Formats: sequence, structure tokens, C-alpha cells
Amino acid sequence: MDLNATGKTFPPYEFHVERGKIREFADAIGDPNPIYRDPAYAETTPSRGIMAPPTLLRTFLYEPKAAAEALQVKDWSYIVHGEQEFEYFAPVRAGDVLTAQDRIVSVSEKESRRAGKLQIAVIETLFHNQNGEKVQVARRTLVETGKRISE
Amino acid sequence: MSPSFKSIKVGDAPAPLVCGPLTRTQFVRYAGASHDFNPNHHDEVYAQASGNKAVFGMGMLAGGFCARLLTDWLGDGSLRQLRIRFQSRFWPGDVLTCTARVTAKRESDAGALVDCEFSAVNQTGEVIIRGDATAAVPP
Repeated sequence: MDLNATGKTFPPYEFHVERGKIREFADAIGDPNPIYRDPAYAETTPSRGIMAPPTLLRTFLYEPKAAAEALQVKDWSYIVHGEQEFEYFAPVRAGDVLTAQDRIVSVSEKESRRAGKLQIAVIETLFHNQNGEKVQVARRTLVETGKRISE
Repeated sequence: MSPSFKSIKVGDAPAPLVCGPLTRTQFVRYAGASHDFNPNHHDEVYAQASGNKAVFGMGMLAGGFCARLLTDWLGDGSLRQLRIRFQSRFWPGDVLTCTARVTAKRESDAGALVDCEFSAVNQTGEVIIRGDATAAVPP
């Protein structure tokens, strides 16, 4: 990884939080909650509409490659997703148009007895909705191991 | 009915959520829904050539199971923070049991908050993911 990538920010990108995607995602994690699929029910809840499950927004972060490319990883098969964090500020609802911006918070090195020299990158994504309201922050920690971690 | 700040106690825990036995079809379904197309999760030939005994599940799928445990327990839209640490792989046929417990309760400018820890373990007791979360609950 490029240790000098710390602090880099990337152009914002926009995506739509579609009702069908929310339902598809809730089905995939086996969550039958009507707040993810029934508009009449969801209207009666504090979110006042179909809302996104807590881990949904990670799914919009596989496509944009700029931040990941800036890490200059030599071989992605040595990269593991170590940790994923979300902070929630306001509900994300079906129909929202979100703007996301990625920033590399840190790239650092650490010795591990189990896996040799580790390089650890934290990428933060800040999400605003169509009203300019900050709704979520996602942070993913990517770890490059010096050797493959055996089972 | 989600618990109130007054009623909830450190150590309180929801009924465990048991998921599985998990199937390759579930991994593929989550790949499509989440856009995680790492072939280790859906392509058995690739996964085995990479030294894995089979395709293995996405950590974020286990994370989704645990997030459901938390929202079913503490309420939709209650989460303020969620952190998932990926510990080990899980495989087709595994049964994951998700548990959580309250570690602290506190009042802040953001309201009445409850801190929890959670994990998903497989049928042999191996920890697949663990994490912590903060939720806002009614007074």
C-alpha cells in the first residue's frame, strides 16, 4: 500500500436508494421486517417511510474504485476486510438520493506474529442526502498481510 | 416493543438469532444484493484454487444478521453506531448464532444511549464476527 495516500479525498458520487434494492437486501440477509418492504406500515413508524437496513450503504461502495486504487495494492488476494464501522445521524429512506465522498483516513504499518508485516488502511465515506443532511459515515479497514493467513 | 432506558440493564440480552444451515445460494443472493462480487464467495473453482475448501460467506452477511438482531431488539432506526470486526470465515452448512448484550448505558446530548457488544459464532463456538454498537432508546 502507498503510505503517502493518507488524507487523500476523492470526487463525490451520487446514487439512488431504491425501494427494490432495500427489499432485495433485506431478503438477502433474511430480515422479514416490514419497515424494509411495506410502505403503509413504514409510514406509521418514526422514519415515516421505508428505510435502509443498518448495513445497506456498504453495498454502494464496491463500485467506486478511486480510493481503493489510490492505495496502490499490488495483489488484492492478500487484502482482507478487517473491520467495518457505521455512524448513523439520520434515517436513509427509499427514494433518497445520496452523495458519497471517500477519504483515506490513514495508511499505517504494524508487525503481527501471525501474519508478518501488516499494512492497514482506513477509508471513510461520508453520506449526505438530497437535503444536504449528513446521514451516515462508513469506515472500512483494509489489511494487507505479508503472507496469506492460513486457517 | 423495544426496551426503555429506564428498564434496560447492563447484561440484558435478546433471544439469540440462529441463521442457517447456510447455503451457497444465500451467498450468491447476498452477492447480488450487496454488489460484493469477490469470487471467493460465489465461484467454488476460484475459491479452491485460492486455497479455500469451498466458497465462504461474506463477513458483511454475518454483519447483516447481527444488525437484524440489534434492530429487532432495540428498535428500527435506533442505532447510532455499529462496528463489525471480521474474525474468521464461515462456510456452506455452517449455522451462525448471533448474540448481544448491554455493556453500558449513559445519557448524553444525543439522548439516552445504550452500548452493546455482539457476536456471531458458528456451530463449534468459533467466533466469526464480533462488534459493538450504540443505540438511542426511549427514556
